[in-house]
Formats: sequence, structure tokens, C-alpha cells
Amino acid sequence: MRARAVVGGIVSSIAVLVIGWQLGGQPAVTAPSQSTTSGSSASGSGSSGSGSSGSTASGTGGSSVSGTFTGDATQTRYGPVQVRITVAGGKITDVTALQLTDHDGRSVQISQQAAPILRQEALAAQSASIQAVSGATFTSEGYTTSLQSAIDKAGL
Amino acid sequence: MIDTARPTAHPLAAAPATEPLAVAARRRDRSRRRRSATTDLLGIFAWISAAVAVALWLASPGSHSVVGIGGWLTDAGIVAGLIATDLVLVMLVLAARVPLVDRTFGQDTAIAVHRSLGKPVLYLLLAHGALLTLGYGASAGTGPIAETIALFSTPDMPLAYLGLGLFVAVVVSSLVAVRRRLPYEAWHVIHLLSYAAVLVALPHMLSAGSVLAAGTWQRAYWIALYVLALGLIAVYRFAVPFVVTVRHRIRVVGVEPIAPGVVSIHLAGRDLDRLGARGGQYGVWRFWTATTWWYAHPVSFSAVPGRDRARITVRDLGAGSSRLGRIRPGAFVSLEGPYGLFTSRARTAPYLALVASGIGITPVRALLEDTDLRPGEATVLLRGSDAQQQYLWRETADLAATTGSRLFAMVGHRARSRATWMPEEDLRRGVTLLSVFPRLLESDLYVCGPRAWSDLVVREARLAGVPEHQIHQERFES
Repeated sequence: MRARAVVGGIVSSIAVLVIGWQLGGQPAVTAPSQSTTSGSSASGSGSSGSGSSGSTASGTGGSSVSGTFTGDATQTRYGPVQVRITVAGGKITDVTALQLTDHDGRSVQISQQAAPILRQEALAAQSASIQAVSGATFTSEGYTTSLQSAIDKAGL
Repeated sequence: MIDTARPTAHPLAAAPATEPLAVAARRRDRSRRRRSATTDLLGIFAWISAAVAVALWLASPGSHSVVGIGGWLTDAGIVAGLIATDLVLVMLVLAARVPLVDRTFGQDTAIAVHRSLGKPVLYLLLAHGALLTLGYGASAGTGPIAETIALFSTPDMPLAYLGLGLFVAVVVSSLVAVRRRLPYEAWHVIHLLSYAAVLVALPHMLSAGSVLAAGTWQRAYWIALYVLALGLIAVYRFAVPFVVTVRHRIRVVGVEPIAPGVVSIHLAGRDLDRLGARGGQYGVWRFWTATTWWYAHPVSFSAVPGRDRARITVRDLGAGSSRLGRIRPGAFVSLEGPYGLFTSRARTAPYLALVASGIGITPVRALLEDTDLRPGEATVLLRGSDAQQQYLWRETADLAATTGSRLFAMVGHRARSRATWMPEEDLRRGVTLLSVFPRLLESDLYVCGPRAWSDLVVREARLAGVPEHQIHQERFES
């Protein structure tokens, strides 16, 4: 009786873990190229979903918004967060973190870990509606807030 | 002789006394299978709850980008923390006295599982702290001590360390060796700190961790788990006992000394038959007098409650219960319960063997009263250390006579010569469980008495080959 519960528990737990691993293994955001400056290739490989949102935005705000736009600095409990976006042809081609949470050693470390993930998510989503990074909740929130203000300034 | 409550007809006890053996056997077999399946299912749910917690973390962004040894340590620490938190919530559910749990495997088994989880959870929590400190330290290139200082200056982390300290205190105070030296009240107060520990650990899960980050599945899942665990505690430990107490308005109507240090407390209330108490169950009683209100006593019903009367019988086993003898009639009583699987509902075999020692007779007597028995179906063995310890023997003998059950008595202190549950004299005469209960292997064996004694009875039954599901044990510390 106990054995049945233990075996059943282990088997079903492993199944659940494998599903979780698979879901995490295929990141919800398909990251474009890793290189930062090659704007043309990044926009070229942008997913179709983000492409359609870009086109509707360009329809209202002019077809070829380009340049860099700096978001407002957002205060978090671990320090300010500020990002700058690079836009080419109405698409976000790069996100640079100007300031990240630096309250203490741990915060700096979290920021360094989270920033590349947040950048990839933002590039893939072409918006500020991205998922928070595990273990970096406040950094993520500050990042998305600053990112949104940058996107607003760009009029995307 | 004693104003005993009358047995009542339970709507659920549909089996009439004339139920054919084969039908009864089928019904019991079905009920046992159902309980066993539900027990396993609940166990599997507990496993899955931890697995889902880890799986959701695995599915979240960032969990797969493990960098270096520090990353591995950090991830191991996060997983340890997730599993530990889940198990803490499982422990809360086990201690919540949920009716489904009590009906399927019994509240005492639930508490046994709760206890067995205590130390593993503490180790996981310590590992969570240690692994994350080492992992962060390895990633940042600082030592563990410098990293600990850094963590202390992180918001919410001092509270998390406080929570860890509280968990350590709760588990240490519950270690057998420590708990034996502590007064019950001290242990209880320390144990209540586990609620505080759960709550002060929450902020760092919000800020340092991200399990509650807005808009994630993890947030929905963990909120659901917390609501479930704390909700079950609130409902079944507080709301339901409160409603029961208010609805039935139980009062003491008489305290009757039946032997030195043993009293029967006669209670009156409204619709006590609708408490649903079955013979062999117990309640956790609190008597609202100046000297007794702070201590709740787990005590068995010594008779099946009638419409407006109930009776419990208590021996002064602890500091609190000796004051019960001085309770005045009219005292207000609050009740949590009834609880327990020491009832005919748990039966799995065609015959019934009841063994009681000392004050352990109370649930056995009520069980005998509440069971529909064919003549010759039940055999009762009563044991007392001396002539004074024959509590309720007369009425038990009357019940045995009316139900056509056989009754044996065994009087005398336990033999010192070896580990046995019998007096020297019976040991010499060659008495065994099988000689008292010739149909032991086809019987449900119900044993109630002091822990050391009843463990010895059960050990002999196991050696004789009684299947585990036929053994029903209710123990108390003596």
C-alpha cells in the first residue's frame, strides 16, 4: 500500500518534472541573434508575430522610426534601472541597460545574470510585455517599466 | 448504576445485526480498498505538489541558463527551498485535522507522517540557505561569510533567517528526547511559532526569489497552495470546532470519581447524537474554568453520545488532567472532533478481538456498544495492573453479555522477567494472544492502552501473522 503510493508518486513526479524541463527547454521567446549591433540581421530574424505588431505601429507612427531612445530611470528597492533601445525601421534591434540594480553585491550579480535574458525576451517580443526572470523580480519590473517608456518615446 | 447515554442509530451504520457474513465481508473489503486507494492517491498528490513546484520553476525564464559551479549551487538551493516550502505546506495540511484525512488513514497516522517530515524539511531548509550562500559567493567570488553578511543587508533576508531559526526551534523542541523533558504547554507554544515561521519566510520569496512574481504560473500555483493549506487550518482547526461548540452547547453536569485518579465527566448538550461520534472516537476537550481553560485534552468518549447526554472518562495522566477532577457542574466545554479511526468503520475481518488496558478501556467500551455483533463475533480482553484499575469493567461485562461476546480479564502487573504485555502468572500458564482469541487471524484486533504495552500486544499479533490492515491501535503515553 505504501509502496504503491511511493512508486506512483515518484513516477508522476518525474513525468511532471520532464514536462517542466521541456517547457523551459523551449524558451517562450525565440531569441534572435546574439550580436548586439547588426541591426539588419536582428530585424530580419524577428519572429512573424512581432513583425505584425511592428507593422501596425508603423502604420500610425511613420514607417521608419530609427535611432536610439532612452527610457526613464525607474526606482526599485535595489536601485535605479534604466534602459536605452536602438530602433531601426520601426523595430527594436537592441536594448542596452544603462543602469541596473546595484544596491549590493547580490543585486549586481542578479542584474548581470538577468539583463541578457531580459534583453533577449524584449527583442523577441518587440514590446515591454515580457516575463520576469526567476530570481530577479525587481530588476525585471524596473527593466520593463523603463523599456516601456523608451518604446513610448520612440512612438512604436 | 451509571447514567450512561443510550446508543443511537447512526444513519450511516446501515448494516443490520442480521447482515450475512459474506455481505459484511464484501462491504468491508470494498471499504478497505477504497480507503487504501484514497490514502495512496493523497500520497501521490503530495509528491506531485512538490514536483509541480519544481517543474514550474524549470519552465520559467532564466532557470536553464546555468553558469558555472555557482549557478549549479544556486539552482540546487532554489530547488531545495521549493521542495521544503511545499513540504511545510503538506505538514500543515496533515495537522489540519481534515475529515477526509481522518476518515481514510486516521489523524494519528497523519500526525506520524507530519512528524516524520519534520527533520527532512529542516535539512532541506538548511541546505537551501547553505547552497544559495555558497552559490552566490562562488558567482561573486566572495567567501561564504562575506556573502552571508551581504545577504543580511538584503531586504527581507533578516526575516528569512528569523524564519529558519524558528523552524530549527520547532523541530528541535519536537525531537523525542527534548519533547519528553518539556512541559506540554512549552512545546505547544514553540510549535505555534511554525505559523510565524511560514509567514516571515514569505517576503523573501517575493523579493529575493521570484516564485510570486506577478503574472506567472508560479505565482498562481503558490498562492493556491498557501490558500489551500492555511484555509484548511482555518476551517478545520478553528471554524468547525467553533461551530460545533456553539451549536451543541456542551456543559459539565457531573464529575463522578470511579477509582482513585479516574473520573467520568458527564456532559449535557443539544443534539449530541448529531455530532456523528462513533464508538471508539475521541474529542479534544477544553473546559472553560479558571484553572483548565488553557489546556485541551484529547479524551475518548466512554459511551456513545445520546441525544442530550455524553460521557468521557479521564485518568490523571498529565498535569492538566488532574485538575479535571475538580471541575464544577455547569462548566462550559468546547469540543474539537470527534476524531479517530478506532471504530467499527475501519473493520476488515469477520471477527472482532478487543484488548484494553487500564484507562484504554474507554474507546473499547464505546466501540463494543456501537458495533452490531453476532453472538460469538467479538471477544474482549481486559487488563488491569491491580484490582483498583478495573475501570468500567462492570458495564463492559454487561455490554459483552447483551451482545453475546466473550470476555476475559487479566489482573496483575506486567512480568518484569522479559518484554511482555502479560502478568507473570498468565505468562507461566502459557497464555498467548491466540489462546485468548482462537480466531485471531480472521479478526480485527483493536488494542488500546499505554504505548509500551500496546506495542508489545501488536508485536505478538504481527508475529502470529495478523495482516497489518486488521490491526487497529490507539496508544497514549503513560
